[in-house]
Amino acid sequence: MKAVCVLSCGLLFWTTSLAAHHSFAAEYDAAKPVTLSGIVAKIDWTNPHIHFYVDIKDEAGGVTQWKFEGYPPNMLVRQGWKRDVTLKPGDAISVFAWRSRIDSNFAAAREITFADGHKMAVGPPAGTGGQ
Amino acid sequence: MRTRVFVSLAAVAMAMAIDSRPARAQNGAAPQNESRPVPRAADGKPDLSGVWITGALQLLIGEEAASAIQKADAAAGRTPPPREPPPYKPAAEARRQEYVARRGIDDPMARCLLSGVPRITTRPLPFQIVQMPGQVILLYEAHHGFRIVPTDGRPHPDDAEPSYLGDSVAHWEGDTLVVDVTRFNDKTWLAGVGTIHSEQLHVIERYTRDSYDTIRYDVTLEDPEVFTKPWHQHETFRLRPNERLREYECIENNEDLARFEKLLQTDPALRKP
Repeated sequence: MKAVCVLSCGLLFWTTSLAAHHSFAAEYDAAKPVTLSGIVAKIDWTNPHIHFYVDIKDEAGGVTQWKFEGYPPNMLVRQGWKRDVTLKPGDAISVFAWRSRIDSNFAAAREITFADGHKMAVGPPAGTGGQ
Repeated sequence: MRTRVFVSLAAVAMAMAIDSRPARAQNGAAPQNESRPVPRAADGKPDLSGVWITGALQLLIGEEAASAIQKADAAAGRTPPPREPPPYKPAAEARRQEYVARRGIDDPMARCLLSGVPRITTRPLPFQIVQMPGQVILLYEAHHGFRIVPTDGRPHPDDAEPSYLGDSVAHWEGDTLVVDVTRFNDKTWLAGVGTIHSEQLHVIERYTRDSYDTIRYDVTLEDPEVFTKPWHQHETFRLRPNERLREYECIENNEDLARFEKLLQTDPALRKP
Protein backbone atom coordinates (compact mmCIF):
# COMPACT_ATOMS: atom_id res chain seq x y z
CA MET A 1 0.00 0.00 0.00
CA LYS A 2 2.78 2.35 0.93
CA ALA A 3 4.57 1.56 -2.33
CA VAL A 4 1.37 2.29 -4.26
CA CYS A 5 1.01 5.58 -2.43
CA VAL A 6 4.59 6.58 -3.16
CA LEU A 7 4.04 5.88 -6.84
CA SER A 8 0.63 7.50 -7.14
CA CYS A 9 1.53 10.48 -4.97
CA GLY A 10 4.62 10.99 -7.06
CA LEU A 11 2.60 10.85 -10.26
CA LEU A 12 0.07 13.28 -8.84
CA PHE A 13 2.82 15.65 -7.86
CA TRP A 14 4.51 15.56 -11.23
CA THR A 15 1.22 15.88 -13.08
CA THR A 16 0.59 19.13 -11.26
CA SER A 17 4.15 20.20 -11.95
CA LEU A 18 3.51 20.39 -15.70
CA ALA A 19 1.96 23.81 -15.33
CA ALA A 20 3.62 26.09 -17.78
CA HIS A 21 2.56 29.61 -16.94
CA HIS A 22 -0.03 29.20 -14.25
CA SER A 23 -1.98 26.46 -12.56
CA PHE A 24 -5.00 25.42 -14.63
CA ALA A 25 -6.99 24.72 -11.49
CA ALA A 26 -6.51 28.24 -10.18
CA GLU A 27 -8.64 29.75 -12.90
CA TYR A 28 -10.56 27.01 -14.72
CA ASP A 29 -12.87 24.16 -13.80
CA ALA A 30 -11.91 20.86 -15.46
CA ALA A 31 -15.33 19.50 -14.51
CA LYS A 32 -17.05 22.07 -16.71
CA PRO A 33 -16.17 21.41 -20.34
CA VAL A 34 -18.02 23.35 -23.01
CA THR A 35 -18.22 23.18 -26.80
CA LEU A 36 -19.36 26.34 -28.56
CA SER A 37 -19.73 27.29 -32.22
CA GLY A 38 -19.64 30.75 -33.71
CA ILE A 39 -17.80 33.35 -35.74
CA VAL A 40 -14.34 34.63 -34.77
CA ALA A 41 -14.53 38.33 -33.94
CA LYS A 42 -10.98 39.17 -32.81
CA ILE A 43 -7.64 37.57 -31.96
CA ASP A 44 -5.07 38.94 -29.51
CA TRP A 45 -1.78 37.26 -30.48
CA THR A 46 -0.02 38.03 -27.18
CA ASN A 47 2.04 36.50 -24.38
CA PRO A 48 1.72 34.73 -22.06
CA HIS A 49 -1.51 33.57 -23.75
CA ILE A 50 -3.34 34.31 -26.94
CA HIS A 51 -6.99 35.26 -26.56
CA PHE A 52 -9.65 35.01 -29.21
CA TYR A 53 -13.23 36.20 -29.17
CA VAL A 54 -16.10 34.30 -30.75
CA ASP A 55 -19.65 35.53 -31.40
CA ILE A 56 -22.02 32.75 -30.39
CA LYS A 57 -25.62 32.84 -31.63
CA ASP A 58 -28.31 31.50 -29.34
CA GLU A 59 -31.58 29.88 -30.36
CA ALA A 60 -33.48 33.14 -29.93
CA GLY A 61 -31.20 34.86 -32.42
CA GLY A 62 -29.21 36.80 -29.86
CA VAL A 63 -25.42 36.95 -29.97
CA THR A 64 -23.10 36.49 -27.00
CA GLN A 65 -19.37 37.02 -27.30
CA TRP A 66 -17.13 34.49 -25.56
CA LYS A 67 -13.46 34.98 -24.81
CA PHE A 68 -11.06 32.03 -25.01
CA GLU A 69 -7.50 31.66 -23.77
CA GLY A 70 -4.88 29.50 -25.51
CA TYR A 71 -1.18 28.72 -25.73
CA PRO A 72 1.32 31.56 -26.24
CA PRO A 73 2.32 32.36 -29.83
CA ASN A 74 5.66 30.51 -29.56
CA MET A 75 3.96 27.23 -28.72
CA LEU A 76 1.31 27.62 -31.42
CA VAL A 77 3.93 28.43 -34.08
CA ARG A 78 5.88 25.32 -33.10
CA GLN A 79 2.70 23.28 -33.52
CA GLY A 80 2.11 24.56 -37.04
CA TRP A 81 0.06 27.71 -36.47
CA LYS A 82 0.60 30.87 -38.49
CA ARG A 83 -0.50 34.27 -37.23
CA ASP A 84 -3.36 35.78 -39.31
CA VAL A 85 -3.53 32.59 -41.40
CA THR A 86 -4.59 29.67 -39.23
CA LEU A 87 -7.31 31.61 -37.40
CA LYS A 88 -8.88 34.77 -38.78
CA PRO A 89 -11.78 37.07 -37.91
CA GLY A 90 -14.83 35.85 -39.78
CA ASP A 91 -13.89 32.15 -39.53
CA ALA A 92 -16.70 29.82 -38.48
CA ILE A 93 -15.31 27.57 -35.76
CA SER A 94 -16.26 25.26 -32.96
CA VAL A 95 -14.24 25.46 -29.72
CA PHE A 96 -13.82 22.80 -27.05
CA ALA A 97 -12.85 24.45 -23.76
CA TRP A 98 -13.22 24.46 -19.99
CA ARG A 99 -15.13 27.23 -18.25
CA SER A 100 -13.52 29.91 -16.15
CA ARG A 101 -14.29 29.85 -12.46
CA ILE A 102 -14.89 33.59 -12.36
CA ASP A 103 -16.11 34.97 -15.69
CA SER A 104 -19.25 33.56 -17.26
CA ASN A 105 -18.28 33.93 -20.93
CA PHE A 106 -14.64 33.00 -20.64
CA ALA A 107 -12.94 29.60 -21.03
CA ALA A 108 -9.61 27.82 -21.50
CA ALA A 109 -9.63 26.58 -25.10
CA ARG A 110 -8.26 23.16 -25.92
CA GLU A 111 -9.16 22.52 -29.54
CA ILE A 112 -10.67 24.32 -32.50
CA THR A 113 -12.66 22.58 -35.24
CA PHE A 114 -12.64 24.61 -38.45
CA ALA A 115 -15.42 24.80 -41.05
CA ASP A 116 -13.75 22.20 -43.28
CA GLY A 117 -13.65 19.77 -40.37
CA HIS A 118 -9.95 19.88 -39.56
CA LYS A 119 -8.95 20.38 -35.95
CA MET A 120 -6.05 22.15 -34.26
CA ALA A 121 -4.94 22.13 -30.65
CA VAL A 122 -5.03 25.70 -29.32
CA GLY A 123 -4.42 25.21 -25.61
CA PRO A 124 -3.20 22.67 -23.05
CA PRO A 125 -5.14 19.71 -21.67
CA ALA A 126 -6.99 20.40 -18.44
CA GLY A 127 -4.72 20.22 -15.44
CA THR A 128 -1.48 20.86 -17.26
CA GLY A 129 -1.55 24.61 -16.98
CA GLY A 130 -1.46 27.32 -19.57
CA GLN A 131 1.57 29.23 -20.57
CA MET B 1 -14.97 13.32 -20.15
CA ARG B 2 -11.90 11.16 -20.50
CA THR B 3 -13.36 9.63 -23.66
CA ARG B 4 -14.07 13.09 -24.99
CA VAL B 5 -10.50 14.24 -24.47
CA PHE B 6 -9.13 11.03 -25.95
CA VAL B 7 -11.31 11.45 -29.03
CA SER B 8 -10.17 15.05 -29.31
CA LEU B 9 -6.50 14.11 -29.06
CA ALA B 10 -6.92 11.38 -31.66
CA ALA B 11 -8.64 13.85 -33.98
CA VAL B 12 -5.85 16.37 -33.53
CA ALA B 13 -3.24 13.72 -34.27
CA MET B 14 -5.09 12.70 -37.42
CA ALA B 15 -5.50 16.28 -38.56
CA MET B 16 -1.81 16.95 -38.00
CA ALA B 17 -0.86 13.81 -39.89
CA ILE B 18 -2.85 15.02 -42.89
CA ASP B 19 -1.94 18.67 -42.57
CA SER B 20 1.82 18.39 -42.24
CA ARG B 21 3.34 21.87 -42.21
CA PRO B 22 6.93 22.87 -42.88
CA ALA B 23 7.66 23.92 -39.30
CA ARG B 24 7.03 20.45 -37.97
CA ALA B 25 8.71 18.71 -40.88
CA GLN B 26 11.88 20.73 -40.34
CA ASN B 27 11.98 20.05 -36.63
CA GLY B 28 11.74 16.27 -36.97
CA ALA B 29 9.88 14.71 -34.08
CA ALA B 30 11.82 11.53 -33.43
CA PRO B 31 15.56 11.17 -32.87
CA GLN B 32 17.30 11.07 -36.23
CA ASN B 33 20.95 10.75 -35.31
CA GLU B 34 21.25 7.82 -32.95
CA SER B 35 24.13 6.34 -34.93
CA ARG B 36 26.15 9.58 -34.87
CA PRO B 37 28.84 9.92 -32.22
CA VAL B 38 28.56 12.45 -29.44
CA PRO B 39 30.28 15.61 -30.72
CA ARG B 40 33.35 16.77 -28.84
CA ALA B 41 34.87 20.18 -28.23
CA ALA B 42 38.51 21.04 -28.97
CA ASP B 43 39.47 20.09 -25.39
CA GLY B 44 38.03 16.61 -25.91
CA LYS B 45 35.02 17.13 -23.67
CA PRO B 46 31.53 16.35 -24.99
CA ASP B 47 30.06 19.41 -26.69
CA LEU B 48 26.69 20.19 -25.14
CA SER B 49 25.99 23.05 -27.54
CA GLY B 50 22.61 23.16 -29.21
CA VAL B 51 18.95 23.98 -28.72
CA TRP B 52 17.24 21.53 -26.38
CA ILE B 53 13.75 20.84 -25.07
CA THR B 54 12.45 18.84 -22.12
CA GLY B 55 9.52 18.83 -19.73
CA ALA B 56 5.97 18.67 -21.04
CA LEU B 57 6.86 18.14 -24.69
CA GLN B 58 3.23 17.88 -25.82
CA LEU B 59 2.65 21.48 -24.74
CA LEU B 60 5.54 22.75 -26.83
CA ILE B 61 5.56 20.61 -29.95
CA GLY B 62 2.10 19.01 -29.88
CA GLU B 63 0.82 15.52 -29.17
CA GLU B 64 1.94 13.96 -32.44
CA ALA B 65 5.58 14.99 -32.17
CA ALA B 66 5.74 14.27 -28.43
CA SER B 67 4.22 10.84 -28.99
CA ALA B 68 6.83 10.05 -31.65
CA ILE B 69 9.59 10.82 -29.15
CA GLN B 70 7.95 8.65 -26.49
CA LYS B 71 7.59 5.76 -28.96
CA ALA B 72 11.24 6.05 -30.00
CA ASP B 73 12.21 5.99 -26.32
CA ALA B 74 10.16 2.86 -25.73
CA ALA B 75 11.59 1.15 -28.81
CA ALA B 76 15.12 1.92 -27.63
CA GLY B 77 14.37 0.69 -24.11
CA ARG B 78 14.83 4.13 -22.60
CA THR B 79 12.51 4.36 -19.62
CA PRO B 80 12.57 7.38 -17.34
CA PRO B 81 13.36 6.69 -13.68
CA PRO B 82 10.47 6.97 -11.22
CA ARG B 83 9.71 10.49 -10.05
CA GLU B 84 10.64 11.26 -6.46
CA PRO B 85 8.18 13.31 -4.45
CA PRO B 86 9.86 16.19 -2.60
CA PRO B 87 11.16 15.00 0.81
CA TYR B 88 9.77 17.88 2.81
CA LYS B 89 9.96 18.24 6.56
CA PRO B 90 6.48 18.33 8.14
CA ALA B 91 6.31 22.12 8.42
CA ALA B 92 7.40 22.62 4.81
CA GLU B 93 4.99 19.92 3.62
CA ALA B 94 2.18 21.68 5.47
CA ARG B 95 3.05 24.90 3.64
CA ARG B 96 3.10 23.03 0.32
CA GLN B 97 -0.34 21.58 1.01
CA GLU B 98 -1.64 25.09 1.70
CA TYR B 99 -0.43 26.16 -1.73
CA VAL B 100 -2.04 23.08 -3.30
CA ALA B 101 -5.33 23.86 -1.55
CA ARG B 102 -5.10 27.35 -3.02
CA ARG B 103 -4.87 25.66 -6.44
CA GLY B 104 -1.50 27.13 -7.30
CA ILE B 105 -2.71 30.73 -7.37
CA ASP B 106 0.47 31.81 -5.55
CA ASP B 107 2.81 30.47 -8.24
CA PRO B 108 5.59 33.02 -8.82
CA MET B 109 5.73 31.93 -12.45
CA ALA B 110 2.14 33.07 -13.02
CA ARG B 111 3.39 36.55 -12.13
CA CYS B 112 5.99 36.25 -14.89
CA LEU B 113 8.84 36.11 -12.39
CA LEU B 114 12.00 34.31 -13.39
CA SER B 115 11.83 30.58 -12.61
CA GLY B 116 14.73 29.16 -10.62
CA VAL B 117 16.89 26.06 -11.08
CA PRO B 118 15.91 23.47 -12.16
CA ARG B 119 12.38 24.69 -12.97
CA ILE B 120 13.47 27.07 -15.72
CA THR B 121 14.97 24.09 -17.53
CA THR B 122 11.80 22.03 -17.41
CA ARG B 123 9.50 24.78 -18.63
CA PRO B 124 7.98 23.72 -21.96
CA LEU B 125 10.07 26.27 -23.83
CA PRO B 126 13.43 25.59 -25.51
CA PHE B 127 16.80 26.58 -24.13
CA GLN B 128 20.20 26.81 -25.75
CA ILE B 129 23.58 25.67 -24.48
CA VAL B 130 26.63 27.48 -25.83
CA GLN B 131 29.83 25.71 -24.78
CA MET B 132 32.98 27.80 -24.99
CA PRO B 133 36.51 27.49 -23.60
CA GLY B 134 36.31 28.36 -19.90
CA GLN B 135 32.55 28.87 -19.74
CA VAL B 136 29.17 27.48 -20.68
CA ILE B 137 26.32 29.86 -21.49
CA LEU B 138 22.75 28.75 -20.83
CA LEU B 139 20.07 30.74 -22.64
CA TYR B 140 16.41 30.18 -21.80
CA GLU B 141 13.47 31.24 -23.92
CA ALA B 142 11.48 31.44 -20.68
CA HIS B 143 11.77 34.94 -19.22
CA HIS B 144 14.83 35.78 -21.35
CA GLY B 145 16.74 33.91 -18.63
CA PHE B 146 20.46 33.32 -18.92
CA ARG B 147 23.25 31.78 -16.88
CA ILE B 148 26.96 32.31 -17.49
CA VAL B 149 28.69 29.31 -15.94
CA PRO B 150 32.50 29.44 -15.54
CA THR B 151 34.27 26.13 -16.16
CA ASP B 152 37.79 27.44 -15.53
CA GLY B 153 38.01 26.34 -11.92
CA ARG B 154 37.08 29.61 -10.26
CA PRO B 155 35.01 29.41 -7.05
CA HIS B 156 31.67 31.11 -6.37
CA PRO B 157 32.22 34.84 -5.88
CA ASP B 158 32.10 36.20 -2.33
CA ASP B 159 29.67 38.98 -3.19
CA ALA B 160 26.86 37.06 -4.94
CA GLU B 161 23.51 38.35 -3.74
CA PRO B 162 20.63 35.87 -3.39
CA SER B 163 18.92 35.63 -6.77
CA TYR B 164 16.31 33.69 -8.75
CA LEU B 165 18.83 31.62 -10.73
CA GLY B 166 21.55 31.62 -8.11
CA ASP B 167 25.26 31.61 -8.86
CA SER B 168 26.72 28.78 -10.95
CA VAL B 169 30.22 27.37 -11.36
CA ALA B 170 31.06 24.10 -13.10
CA HIS B 171 33.70 21.46 -13.63
CA TRP B 172 33.96 18.26 -15.61
CA GLU B 173 33.85 14.81 -14.02
CA GLY B 174 34.81 12.56 -16.92
CA ASP B 175 32.25 13.28 -19.64
CA THR B 176 29.74 14.88 -17.25
CA LEU B 177 29.48 18.62 -16.70
CA VAL B 178 28.76 19.19 -13.01
CA VAL B 179 27.25 22.58 -12.20
CA ASP B 180 27.17 23.79 -8.61
CA VAL B 181 24.48 26.40 -7.96
CA THR B 182 24.09 28.38 -4.77
CA ARG B 183 23.08 31.84 -3.47
CA PHE B 184 19.40 31.48 -4.36
CA ASN B 185 16.66 33.71 -3.04
CA ASP B 186 13.59 31.97 -1.61
CA LYS B 187 11.12 33.42 -4.11
CA THR B 188 10.83 30.56 -6.60
CA TRP B 189 9.18 27.15 -6.67
CA LEU B 190 11.35 24.19 -7.62
CA ALA B 191 8.96 22.17 -9.75
CA GLY B 192 5.23 21.77 -9.15
CA VAL B 193 2.75 23.72 -7.06
CA GLY B 194 4.07 24.79 -3.68
CA THR B 195 7.58 23.35 -4.05
CA ILE B 196 9.10 25.97 -1.81
CA HIS B 197 12.70 26.25 -0.68
CA SER B 198 14.84 28.50 1.48
CA GLU B 199 17.93 30.59 0.76
CA GLN B 200 19.92 27.56 1.88
CA LEU B 201 19.06 25.77 -1.36
CA HIS B 202 22.05 24.16 -3.02
CA VAL B 203 21.61 22.55 -6.43
CA ILE B 204 24.01 20.21 -8.20
CA GLU B 205 23.21 19.66 -11.87
CA ARG B 206 24.86 16.93 -13.92
CA TYR B 207 24.72 17.20 -17.71
CA THR B 208 25.73 14.04 -19.58
CA ARG B 209 25.39 13.92 -23.37
CA ASP B 210 24.60 10.21 -23.57
CA SER B 211 23.79 10.24 -27.29
CA TYR B 212 23.90 12.64 -30.20
CA ASP B 213 20.22 13.45 -29.66
CA THR B 214 20.01 13.54 -25.87
CA ILE B 215 21.49 14.90 -22.67
CA ARG B 216 20.75 13.12 -19.40
CA TYR B 217 20.07 15.73 -16.73
CA ASP B 218 20.43 14.57 -13.13
CA VAL B 219 19.76 17.11 -10.40
CA THR B 220 20.30 16.96 -6.66
CA LEU B 221 18.59 19.57 -4.52
CA GLU B 222 19.75 20.10 -0.95
CA ASP B 223 18.04 22.42 1.50
CA PRO B 224 18.41 21.48 5.18
CA GLU B 225 15.76 24.01 6.16
CA VAL B 226 12.94 22.31 4.23
CA PHE B 227 14.13 18.84 3.16
CA THR B 228 14.79 15.74 5.26
CA LYS B 229 17.25 14.49 2.63
CA PRO B 230 18.45 15.50 -0.86
CA TRP B 231 15.78 15.50 -3.56
CA HIS B 232 16.76 13.94 -6.88
CA GLN B 233 15.24 14.81 -10.25
CA HIS B 234 16.03 13.35 -13.66
CA GLU B 235 15.13 14.61 -17.12
CA THR B 236 16.15 13.96 -20.70
CA PHE B 237 16.97 16.89 -22.97
CA ARG B 238 16.11 16.44 -26.66
CA LEU B 239 18.21 18.09 -29.35
CA ARG B 240 16.22 20.27 -31.75
CA PRO B 241 18.63 20.88 -34.66
CA ASN B 242 16.30 23.18 -36.62
CA GLU B 243 14.89 25.04 -33.66
CA ARG B 244 15.81 28.54 -32.52
CA LEU B 245 15.01 30.55 -29.44
CA ARG B 246 12.28 33.10 -29.92
CA GLU B 247 11.26 36.13 -27.88
CA TYR B 248 8.85 35.38 -25.05
CA GLU B 249 7.83 38.48 -23.12
CA CYS B 250 5.64 36.98 -20.43
CA ILE B 251 4.39 40.22 -18.88
CA GLU B 252 3.12 41.57 -22.22
CA ASN B 253 -0.53 40.78 -21.55
CA ASN B 254 -0.57 38.79 -18.32
CA GLU B 255 -4.22 38.92 -17.29
CA ASP B 256 -3.69 36.41 -14.51
CA LEU B 257 -2.87 39.05 -11.92
CA ALA B 258 -6.24 40.78 -12.29
CA ARG B 259 -8.06 37.45 -12.34
CA PHE B 260 -6.24 36.30 -9.21
CA GLU B 261 -7.38 39.46 -7.40
CA LYS B 262 -10.95 38.69 -8.42
CA LEU B 263 -10.63 35.06 -7.32
CA LEU B 264 -9.18 36.07 -3.98
CA GLN B 265 -12.22 38.26 -3.33
CA THR B 266 -14.83 35.75 -4.46
CA ASP B 267 -13.56 32.22 -3.74
CA PRO B 268 -13.55 31.27 -0.03
CA ALA B 269 -11.13 28.39 -0.71
CA LEU B 270 -8.45 30.89 -1.69
CA ARG B 271 -8.63 33.11 1.36
CA LYS B 272 -5.64 32.84 3.60
CA PRO B 273 -6.44 31.69 7.15
